[in-house]
Amino acid sequence: MRSLLFVLTLNAFGADEFFETKIRPVLAKNCYACHATTRMGGLDVSSREGLLKGGEIGPAIVPGRPEDSLLLQSVTHSHERLKMPLGLPRLTDEQISNLADWIKAGAEWPRTAASIPKKTNFTITAEQRGFWSFQPVRKPKIPAVRHAAWARTDIDRLLLQPIEAKGVTLAPPALKRTLLRRAYFDLTGLPPSAEQIEAFERDASPDAFAKVVNQLLDSPRYGERWARYWLDVARYSDDRLESEVDAPYENSFRYRDWVIRAFNEDMPYDRFVKAQIAGDLMGETEKGKYSAGLGFYALRPDTQEDRVDVTGRAFLGLTTGCAQCHNHKFDPIPTTDYYALLGVFASTKNSELPLAADDVVKDYKARAKAVEDKKAEIRDFLYAQAREMGALLASQTARYVTAVRTGEGVEKLDAGTLARWKSYLARERFDHPYLKDWGRDQFDATKFQERVLAVLKERKAVDEENTFRRAEAKKKGPKAAVELTALKAESFYLWRDLFFNDFYGNVFKQEDDGLLYYGPNRGYYESDGTIERFLSGVWKEHLNRLREELAALKSNLPAQYPFLHTIADSDKLKTERVRLGGVEDNQGEEVPRRFLTILAPGLDPQPFTKGAGRLELAEAIADRNNPLTARVMVNRIWTHHFGTGLVRTPSDFGFMGDRPSNAELLDYLAARLVESGWSIKSLHREIMLSSAYRLSSARVAANADLDPDNRLYWRANVRRLDVESLRDSLLAVSNELDLETGGRAQRLTELSNKRRSVYGFVSRRHLDSTLALFDFPNANQTSEKRTVTITPPQQLFFMNGPFVMDRARALAGQAGTVEVLYRRIFGRAPQPAESQLGAQYLTGGKDRLALYAQALLMSNEFAMID
Amino acid sequence: MNRRDALRTLGTGFGMLGLANLAASPTAGPMDPRTPHFAPRAKRVIFLFLNGGPSQVDTFDPKPELTRYDGKPVPPEFLSKRKLDNTGNGRLLGSPFSFRPYGRSGLEVSDLFPHLGECIDDVCVVRSMHMDLPAHPQAITQMNSGRLIAGFPSMGSWITYGLGTENQNLPGFIAMCPGMPNVGADLWSSGFLPTAYQGTYVPCDETEPEKMIHDLTNRRIGRDEQRRQMDLVAALNKIDLARRGADPQLEGRIQAMETAFRMQTEALDAFDIGREPETVRQRYGVPNKPPVLDSKKRSATRDGDFARGCLAARRLVERGVRMVQVYFGEDIPWDSHHDILVHRDLARQADRPIAALLQDLKASGLLKDTLVVIGGEFGRTPSVETAGRANVQNGRNHNSRGFTYLLAGGGVKGGIAYGATDEFGFAAVENPVHLHDLHATILHLMGLDHKRLTYRYSGRDFRLTDVAGSVVHPILA
Repeated sequence: MRSLLFVLTLNAFGADEFFETKIRPVLAKNCYACHATTRMGGLDVSSREGLLKGGEIGPAIVPGRPEDSLLLQSVTHSHERLKMPLGLPRLTDEQISNLADWIKAGAEWPRTAASIPKKTNFTITAEQRGFWSFQPVRKPKIPAVRHAAWARTDIDRLLLQPIEAKGVTLAPPALKRTLLRRAYFDLTGLPPSAEQIEAFERDASPDAFAKVVNQLLDSPRYGERWARYWLDVARYSDDRLESEVDAPYENSFRYRDWVIRAFNEDMPYDRFVKAQIAGDLMGETEKGKYSAGLGFYALRPDTQEDRVDVTGRAFLGLTTGCAQCHNHKFDPIPTTDYYALLGVFASTKNSELPLAADDVVKDYKARAKAVEDKKAEIRDFLYAQAREMGALLASQTARYVTAVRTGEGVEKLDAGTLARWKSYLARERFDHPYLKDWGRDQFDATKFQERVLAVLKERKAVDEENTFRRAEAKKKGPKAAVELTALKAESFYLWRDLFFNDFYGNVFKQEDDGLLYYGPNRGYYESDGTIERFLSGVWKEHLNRLREELAALKSNLPAQYPFLHTIADSDKLKTERVRLGGVEDNQGEEVPRRFLTILAPGLDPQPFTKGAGRLELAEAIADRNNPLTARVMVNRIWTHHFGTGLVRTPSDFGFMGDRPSNAELLDYLAARLVESGWSIKSLHREIMLSSAYRLSSARVAANADLDPDNRLYWRANVRRLDVESLRDSLLAVSNELDLETGGRAQRLTELSNKRRSVYGFVSRRHLDSTLALFDFPNANQTSEKRTVTITPPQQLFFMNGPFVMDRARALAGQAGTVEVLYRRIFGRAPQPAESQLGAQYLTGGKDRLALYAQALLMSNEFAMID
Repeated sequence: MNRRDALRTLGTGFGMLGLANLAASPTAGPMDPRTPHFAPRAKRVIFLFLNGGPSQVDTFDPKPELTRYDGKPVPPEFLSKRKLDNTGNGRLLGSPFSFRPYGRSGLEVSDLFPHLGECIDDVCVVRSMHMDLPAHPQAITQMNSGRLIAGFPSMGSWITYGLGTENQNLPGFIAMCPGMPNVGADLWSSGFLPTAYQGTYVPCDETEPEKMIHDLTNRRIGRDEQRRQMDLVAALNKIDLARRGADPQLEGRIQAMETAFRMQTEALDAFDIGREPETVRQRYGVPNKPPVLDSKKRSATRDGDFARGCLAARRLVERGVRMVQVYFGEDIPWDSHHDILVHRDLARQADRPIAALLQDLKASGLLKDTLVVIGGEFGRTPSVETAGRANVQNGRNHNSRGFTYLLAGGGVKGGIAYGATDEFGFAAVENPVHLHDLHATILHLMGLDHKRLTYRYSGRDFRLTDVAGSVVHPILA
C-alpha cells in the first residue's frame, strides 16, 4: 500500500499534476461507480481509450473540443437527456472548467498510474444523511381527527389523518365472525371452531375481542405461526445445497424450535437479534438459551457473502450485499463497509454445541471413527483381491479369447468371465488397435495376451510415478499444482476395457467397469458380491471376520448426541481488503472489522476490538438508537397483519426501496416497540385492538380513484391463505391435526404426516412439491415476503390430490349433513341457497358426501380470508 | 403502460378487475398472451441444453490446423498473435472425429452428428460464442439467467413474463430433464419475478404423464362426476363472490379452477408420447421400453431419455406452450475431461432426436415461428487436459472463450456459419457473440426489446441481459 501511494504521489508532482489532482479524482468520485468496472451504458471513463470509445450513444470526449464532448454536456446538464452525475450533486463550476480545459488540451491521460485507483473514494452526502430511514425514530404527535369516535387507539388517529385529508371513506367494521376468523388466522394460522365463533358473538362485553387476542397470543400455536415468518427471512432449511447427495442436518430443528419458543415466550426483539449474531457471547446460564439462535448463520450455504447480505437485509433492511463489488449505487454504503462486515464473518467459523456430556461426545466420536476405519479396511481388502483376480484372469486371456473364437476349452474357464469376454469381443469397434485383427485368421491370441499383461505393468508404472509426483508437490505446499502422467491413449483404452475401476476418485462417470474387474466401485464401498465368488478358504474367512467386526462396531454406535448448529470466532481473526469489482485478485485497501458508517455515531465507526466483533456488531444493530432495526421489524409485523407493508419492500429501507405510506405511524410503532422493552406481543395487541384492524373488506366505490390500492388502509385486504395455513386448516377442520410440538422435521409429502406444516422438512435441494406449488420461498436466500400466485396446478392439488381427498373423506365420516359440514369447515350455518345446492348435489348419487365435503374445501371461502 | 401495469390490469376475462389491489394482488391472468414490443419472428422457443459443455472442435467447428498440430505444444507465435495468456499446459489435440460437408450450404459437421448434419441447411451455426466463467454451476446459471449467481429469473421466466403463453391449459414454461441438471431448480426459477413465471419441471425419464405432473388425474372419481363437483364449487364460489364483492383474487381462483379442469385432459395428451406412432418414436430414438439401468452405472442418460424430452417438446409447442427447455441429462454429462471419445456415446443419444425434431417442425410448418436453440454452458479446449488426469489424457477442459451454438427456425438464417474462433478453437475472434447477445437476440426474435423488458426489484430495474447485450442482426433472416 505504501509503495503504491508513493508511485501515485510521484506521478502527481510530475508532468501530469493537473490531471492527477484536478481530473482523475473528480472522475473517480463522481463517475467510476457506474462507468468503470460496471460500464453502464457501455461507457468506461477510467481510461482515455474508454472515453474516446464512449458508450452506446457515442464518444464521451472529442479531444480539443470540449463543447462537442458528451462528458462536458452531461456534467453541465446542457444535454437534453444526460444529467450527470446521476443521484449526486452537480459538479462545481471550477471542476467543470477544469474538465473543459483538460479536454481542450487534448485530454492526455498519464500512462503509468493504474487506471482504477486502489483507494475507494466515497463521501456520504448531506442528502444521503438526511434520507428518511437513517433519521432517528421520533414518536409523532398524535393528530386531532374528525372521526374521533371511530378511533379507538393512537394507531387509528395516525391512520385517520391522511384518510380524512384525502376524503377517503372508511369501510364499515367487519362482522364479528369475520373478525374472529381473521384474528385466528393472523395469530395462529388456524381457523376458529364454530363454538369459538358463537362464544365470541355472544360475548357483548367491551373487551371481548381483547380477551380473544390475549388468549391467542398465549397459545403455543402463536409461535408456530410467527416463527415461520422469521424463518422465511432467516432462509431456514433442513438441508444444504452444496452437498453432492442429500445430507439433511440432524439438528437444524433446534434452531426452528428456538425461534418458535422465542416468539411464544415473547423474547424481547433486541435480545432475539443479538442471540442470532452472538448468542454464544451473551453469558447464557442455560445451555443453548441464546446460542441456539446462532443457527441463523450456521444453517446456511457456506459463503461469507451470504452472511453479509442477510445481516443487512434481515435486521436492517439494507442491501449491503450490493456493496460487494462497488460502492452502493444508491445508499450510503461504501464498499469498505461491506468488507468491514465481511471481516467479522471471515473471522467466524461453523461450530457445534453438544447437548451432551463431554465423555459422551468423545466416546461417540471414537466409535464413529472405528466404524469408518473398519469400512475402509474392508474396502481395501476387497479392492486388493479384485486387483489380484484381474491380474490372474489377464494371464488367461489367450485361453478365453480362443474359447470365444473356437469354443475350445470352455468347460475349464469361469463362465461369468467368458460371457463378459463374449459380449466384449462382439463389439463393432474398439478404441485401441489391439483387436483390429479379431475375427481374421491372422489374429494372434498369445500376442494379444502379452499386450494385456504389458498394459497392466505400464499402468503400475504410471501409478508409481504419480504417487511420487504428488509427494513431491506436497513438499511445496498443500495446494501446489501437480502435473500427473498417464497412459498413452491406445494403452489406456485397452486398460479401460479390461481393468477399469473407479477407484481413482470417481472421475469417470460414463464408463463401465473393466471386464476383468470384480471389485467394489463408484462409491459402493461394500462389495456387490461379484468378487466373493472367487474367494475361498482363509480369504473368505478373513472377509467374514472383518464384516462381523464391522457389524459389531455398528451395533455399538449409538445415535449421534444432540447438538446445536452454532458459529464461533475463528482462532485466526481476519481483516479483509476491499476487492474492487468483487474480484479476488483486485485488492484494495484494508478495512478493519467494524459497523456500517452511516449508522455509526458521527459517521465514524470504531474498529471492533472483541474477537471477531460479533457481539459489538449485534449490539450496534440492537441498539435502541439504531434507526432501522425497530422500524424494519414493526413493518414486518404490520405486513403480516394487513397483507401489505407500510413500506412494501420489507427488507429494503434504502433509497431504491419503497417510501413509507405513513411515516408517522411507522415511527409510532417503532417507538412503541422499544418502549415496551421490544415486546412483539405488545405490538400485536396494540395493532389488533385498533379500529383499523377491525374494518371489513367491503369496497367503497367512492375510494376507487382516491386510493385504489388501499395504501391508507381504509378496508381490509382479501388474502389467499399461505401454504402452511391451507394445509393446517385442512387437517384442523377434519379433526386430524396432530398438535405435537417441536422435534425433527418430517416430510410433508408423507401422507401420514399430520403435524403442523412448520414442522415439515424444508429443503434447499429439492423443495417439497406442495410447498413449491403454493409459493413457499426459495430457502437459499432471505425472503422479505411471499409472492402470492393463484395457478391451475394449485387447483389440481385441491381437485385430485390424495391429501385433500383424504381430509374430505374423514370429514364425511364424522359429519353426516350439510349443516354439520358447514359448521365444521366454515364455522357457520349454511344460507338457504347453499343448503339447497347441497341437498341437490347429495340426492344426485350415492357416496357423494365426501365429494361434497371436498367441494367445500375447494371453495374460495375456505382458501381466501378477509 | 409498462409491463407491471399491464399485468395488474390485464384481467381474468370477467368481473371488475380495474380495481387492482396492488401489492397484495396475485397477478390475475399472469399467463394471458400479451402483445410483444414489436412483430415477432418466433412465437415459441425450444432450448435443448447439452449440459456439461460439448466440444466445439469435435462437432460443428472444424479445425484442420488443430489436426496438423496434433500432439504439439501451442506455438508461441499463436499466443502472442491472439493475445492469449493461458491455454493450459496440454498439447494440442486434433479431433479424433472426421468432418464432412452437408447439404447445399456445405457446412461441415463431424461424424458425431450425421443426422443433424442432414438438417444443417436449416441451422445457423454460431461459432463465436463466449461467456464469463469456465465453471459449471456459474456457467449453467449464466446461460439461463444472464447472471453467474443464483437468484435471478431464468430466460423462460422472462419470456413468459413478457409474453404470457398461448395455451392456458398448460404451463407456459416447461423445463424437462432426465433427473436433475447441475445446479437444479434454480435454472428455471423465476427469481424475483412472480412465481407464476417459474418453469414447471417435468422429469422426462418418466414415461407416464401422471408421474410427470403432480395430481394430474383423479384416481377416485370419473370425469362426469368431477364435472358435477366442479359445477357445485362454481355455484358456491358465485354466492361467496356476491357476498364479499368483486375481487380479482376470488375471480382469479375461480378461473384457475376451470383451467385446471381442462388441463387434466390437455396435459395427459401433451406429455403422452405413447400416442405418437411407433415409426415417429423410432426416428427420435425412443425405445419401446426404457432400458433398465444397472444401479452401479452412473450413465449420462439412459438411451431414449433425451429423445423423449425432444418429442414431448414438439408436442408441447404444437399446443402453444411458450418455452420448452430440455436438458440432456443428470448433472453434467458432456463434461469429457479425461476422454473426448466419451462424446461419441453422448452424441449418439443427442443426434437423432434433435434431427427428428427439426424435421418434424419443418414438415408441419412450425419451424417458421419456432426458435430452436441448441448448446451447452461453454465449450472445450483444443488442447488436451493434463492436470490431475491420471487415467488417460485424451480429454478437453472447460472453455468459455469460444464455443458453438446452433439456432434454427424462428426467423434465423439457415445454412450459415456466423463468427469464428481462432485457428485452433481457443477463443472467439471474429464477430464474437457473448451470451448476453444471444439472450438479446432470442428476445428480439420473440418480439421483445431486451432493454425494455424490465422488472423492478430491490430498488432497481432488472433485465435478462443485465447492462449488456446487443442483438446479432446478421443472423436474422
